[in-house]
Amino acid sequence: MQETLAEKLADLREDEVGEEVRRKLEEGVTAEEILADLQKGMVMVGERFQNQEYYLPELIMAADIFTAATASLGDTLKGSKEKIATMVLGTVAGDIHDIGKNIVGLIFGSNGFEVVDLGVDVPPQRFVEAVKEYKPQLVGLSCLLTTSFNSMRETVEALKEAGLRDGVKVLVGGGPVDQGTADYCGADAYCVDAPTGIRIARELLGVS
Amino acid sequence: MTTANDLYEERLERILTAVRLERPDRVPVVPLGDSFCARHQGVKLSEFCTNPELSNQVMLKCFMELGEVDGIQHTNFYVHNLSTAWLSRLKIPGRDLPEDELWQVDEVELMSESDYDAIINDGFRPFIERFYLERLDNLGEKLPVFFMSVPSAMQAMKDHGIVPFSPAIVTIPYELFCGGRSMHQFLRDLYRIPDKVQAAMDVAIRDMIEDARMMCGMIKPIAAWVGGWRAASEFISPRHWQRFVFPYYKQMVEAVVEEGVIAVLHFDSDWTRDLEYLRELPAKRIVFSPDGSTDIFKAKQVLGDHACIMGDVPASLLSLGTVEKVEEYCKRLIEEIGPAGFILAQGCDIPPNARPENVAAMIASVKKFGA
Repeated sequence: MQETLAEKLADLREDEVGEEVRRKLEEGVTAEEILADLQKGMVMVGERFQNQEYYLPELIMAADIFTAATASLGDTLKGSKEKIATMVLGTVAGDIHDIGKNIVGLIFGSNGFEVVDLGVDVPPQRFVEAVKEYKPQLVGLSCLLTTSFNSMRETVEALKEAGLRDGVKVLVGGGPVDQGTADYCGADAYCVDAPTGIRIARELLGVS
Repeated sequence: MTTANDLYEERLERILTAVRLERPDRVPVVPLGDSFCARHQGVKLSEFCTNPELSNQVMLKCFMELGEVDGIQHTNFYVHNLSTAWLSRLKIPGRDLPEDELWQVDEVELMSESDYDAIINDGFRPFIERFYLERLDNLGEKLPVFFMSVPSAMQAMKDHGIVPFSPAIVTIPYELFCGGRSMHQFLRDLYRIPDKVQAAMDVAIRDMIEDARMMCGMIKPIAAWVGGWRAASEFISPRHWQRFVFPYYKQMVEAVVEEGVIAVLHFDSDWTRDLEYLRELPAKRIVFSPDGSTDIFKAKQVLGDHACIMGDVPASLLSLGTVEKVEEYCKRLIEEIGPAGFILAQGCDIPPNARPENVAAMIASVKKFGA
């Protein structure tokens, strides 16, 4: 039996995904339908990650293939993309590590979330401004240094002071972060990795 | 009267007994702290991280104030060494950051795909020399200061009866390439150009082993770190790990041990899945040193009759925990991982914001629970 587009993406067949998307577009399949297939593929990738069939290189490859494929869907998709939620994401003040944060951005971005990436060394006030501007449902805070736990906590405090805390769910993650850190910072949840973050985000937002 | 030398011999024997998987008179404690020691002693990080001699004095003073340690893992700290392990530039306090802020690795793609070809065609040494010169701001010129300082730093510790345990650091090509290429690009390389990556690793490991042997011969350390950070099992599939990671550790560890030096597997992140492979490394000549992410109790089950285990009081426990929590965890380690074949230490490194009383509690716990 022939593999579906979703399966091809899940199997990381980069060239075949590109060809299949082109063929489908030529056949008149709508960009929305193709996107839905690709997203199905990303869900399969997430499942394989949870089952320890896939690891970081596979997540990155899948996200790369997904990004290239959705880019080729072009402008037809603009505005019609249904998103689950928006997440404002950043590595907190005093910390310039972006690998984990970028992976989270990639994986959330390819699983139906809109990601506003504020970059690294992001001061609490910048998070506050971004929450006002983009009105996200989620705020994702990343760090690699234990010294950044205070920045995470200050960021959550700043959101509280600005009266924005109740409107968002705060997710934290990064090398030394654990549930203790999440409690210390006053976050809603600790995410051990990006796919777990997707699951937790969906649960917190009540999205099936 | 007990002299410093008596103390040194007593402590060294305690550590070596643990490495041989026997039961010492009590569990040894061999911590590591760099930025923590600087903070504790009120020394600016900008000065600490660029002056190897100062860092040696600061580490010694800090640990002697906090209790009775058997050894200290490193003799001194020099920020530019970090560039050699990850082929990355750094943000350095006092230069790129405020004077008392922590140094950080600034990981960008400094190494291109064509560099693999350069390594394969022209050799690793010419590549790395050029890389240091052109892309790491003449790193080669900065390193001798550190190497020159190590022998006297080791002596300074001995003079205080403290064992300078593992003042040398080596690693495998995976870590260098992953840092140089940046993790994202490197992990794609494993998919897109695996044969080329492997060919470059095969060339690089030969020179890296030769350098490691030379360093062991020069410094004559008791142990050397064989570092693993990004190569951890948790990040990549068994297939990739067995191809790009383990064979290179095996070669490096065997070379270090052949030089008469104990290999400390300083392994950050989670290696639980592949613990069984470590049994292929020389028995009773290695120390498995996880950072709190690998299941250390599982490690004891799998490696207990093969490798000494060192660790692994987690950074977050030292910074956010209480003395009671630290004691409780140390007691568990000493009783369940020890008392034979175990060295108590923090996982990875003591973080700069660790509470001194927590570190002191960790050090004191070997006397309290470890005899």
